[in-house]
Amino acid sequence: MANKRNRTAGLVLAAAVLGILVWRPTVLIYGLQAAGLYASIAIPMGLILGIVHIVNLAHGEFMMAASYLTYTICRASGMDPYLALLPVAAVTAAFGFLVYRLTIRRALKAPELNQLILTFGLAILLTQAANLLFTSQTRKLSFEYVSASVDIGDLSFGVYNFVFVAIAVAMVVGLRLFLTRTKAGKAALAVGQNPRGAAIVGIDVDRAYALTFALASAMVGLMGAVFITRSSIFPAVGSPFTMKSFCLIAMAGIGNIPGILASSVLLGVSENFLKAFRGTREWADIVFFVLIISVILGRSIRGKKA
Amino acid sequence: MKRTLVALALIAAAAMAFGQGTIKIGATWPLADITGKQGSMAAQQAVDEINKAGGILGRQLELIVIDDELKADKGAAAIEKLVTVDNVDVIIGGMASGVALGQVPAMKKYGKVVVSTGAASYKVEEALGKDADWYFHLHPWDYNQGASYVQGWDEIQKKFPNIKIKKIFLAYEEGAFGKASWDATKTLFGAGNRYVIDGASFKSAALGGGDYGAMLEAAKMFKPDLFLWAGYDADALPMLEQAKAMKFSPGIYLGAPPGWPVGFGTSRLSENVMLYGMWAPSINNVSPVSKKFYDGFVAKFKAEPATYFAPLSYSAVYIVADAIKRAGSTDTAALIKALEATKYESPLGQTITFTPGNIIKHQGVKNQKILQWQMGRQEVIWPFESATAKPVYPFPKWK
Repeated sequence: MANKRNRTAGLVLAAAVLGILVWRPTVLIYGLQAAGLYASIAIPMGLILGIVHIVNLAHGEFMMAASYLTYTICRASGMDPYLALLPVAAVTAAFGFLVYRLTIRRALKAPELNQLILTFGLAILLTQAANLLFTSQTRKLSFEYVSASVDIGDLSFGVYNFVFVAIAVAMVVGLRLFLTRTKAGKAALAVGQNPRGAAIVGIDVDRAYALTFALASAMVGLMGAVFITRSSIFPAVGSPFTMKSFCLIAMAGIGNIPGILASSVLLGVSENFLKAFRGTREWADIVFFVLIISVILGRSIRGKKA
Repeated sequence: MKRTLVALALIAAAAMAFGQGTIKIGATWPLADITGKQGSMAAQQAVDEINKAGGILGRQLELIVIDDELKADKGAAAIEKLVTVDNVDVIIGGMASGVALGQVPAMKKYGKVVVSTGAASYKVEEALGKDADWYFHLHPWDYNQGASYVQGWDEIQKKFPNIKIKKIFLAYEEGAFGKASWDATKTLFGAGNRYVIDGASFKSAALGGGDYGAMLEAAKMFKPDLFLWAGYDADALPMLEQAKAMKFSPGIYLGAPPGWPVGFGTSRLSENVMLYGMWAPSINNVSPVSKKFYDGFVAKFKAEPATYFAPLSYSAVYIVADAIKRAGSTDTAALIKALEATKYESPLGQTITFTPGNIIKHQGVKNQKILQWQMGRQEVIWPFESATAKPVYPFPKWK
């Protein structure tokens, strides 16, 4: 019965995808590109939330700081952001480790509101520091490859943003391998599932948290370096992505990293589907909240039934 | 006895001088924003220049700036403080219309002379009403700007017959700024069916957006002669990059953000992009006042003025100082009379006078300029009297 239902759902989905592809292929193209961006920013936040169990409201600001670091390195050396990617990720990993040791660690047993205030304070600190150092004027590095395009008949579309899809998929696969195949990853996963139990069997919980925070910060740093190839940066550039990331994690369910990717695809395609119609172009933000409310409500109803 | 008399005379002179004190100019700008920050810097530059030249009426000028943080309540509180605590003689500054709307009740309560550098929304003018004779508005209202664009494009097409505009597409950001631009464009360019107008909204990168694919697709299908986008500086380069990827090259590609990103002119994509604005460093070539302002700003702050708010704020101080000098005092009635007679050759490349707006009595600048990025510089192409270059047309096809 369940198999039949799944098959029907799959067929409906395939028919919908095919229909959209024929009618307006750019809905899928731009939808997937947007999904890649959303997911690759949200996944590191999902990692922290899933293992350290803390909502990092400075998540977007970490990315913003990494983007400014990349900008500074590239402007000074003429280096491409893809070459600056690894040093930036290393710096943000060290920064994340320090932030964890100096602040987050001390608030882990505090009420959740205190944790939120702490990370919110970090967000303000980073934004204002960027404002003082770089002013509020926007900055952008311009590269020819960002405008790479493909022509199919009369249709011309940019392909560069598919890089975010690749990054998101690499993050999901990489994290899966890390969490299931390495000793440190397995320890982090155990700590995320049951910190007290993990401590009893001899896992260093604090170390696992620090490692997770540093790893997630490195991933955000990597994203910050790539982000500047696509977008302008300014001190407040990160904050909308914090909210979006948090909502995608809520849609996927805490700890469900592949689910973040799926939620992002749903969101990206839905947004671009609405943008394709003149009358619904401005509804993209509404669909975001409608999807979150629907998914969370659906999950809670299913939970009650179970 | 003689010594005592001299001492008494000195004390009396000092007391008189102290009583006179400085002429206090109060100002509000959003200081975390480059536009507001540079506005306050340029105003201080003007104050320093005037003080160095001996001040006004034998008194030094003092600029007291309060950060309005781009918030209406903070802006209103700043006006209260400037008037009641700092006892300023005149108020200048301002940037966002939303903040100005919050400040209007406090301004009305005290009736201090205000020389405003910001607020483009006609709603601020409606809030002020026709009796606000103490309010002098330097920045053009939104309807002034729209009307000047229509005039500008008419004159450009007349002078350069190869430039032909029939279809206009407006890409506007989803916020109040974009929607007001869309309404104004439909009203002004749509009148008399001379132009065919279409448009689409986009979420600005400044507000977490930055995906222009759907909007550009609609624009490409419309095949406009003039593509105009109303958004923020964060949209400038990413939108061009996506337009290039989609091979969208209209006859005229024009941006109307309040400012441009750092180094926009150094990007190859910027070449021949047109823009609306009030000032550019190229005006130094045709205006000695602009050159004096620009050189002074760069020497003092080791940075270029990023937007026209810097020369506009600089102008506000000079206009106030000149009016106080002619009025012979800071008395409100005398100052209003003197300001009404203002004829100030500004760094904007035009002489500022005050004439009635749709509602208020004292409107300063009424037109914007049409400029074009050429070889990394913003060149003025209209009005022709302050033009620094001829328009390059059409916008080249992407290679």
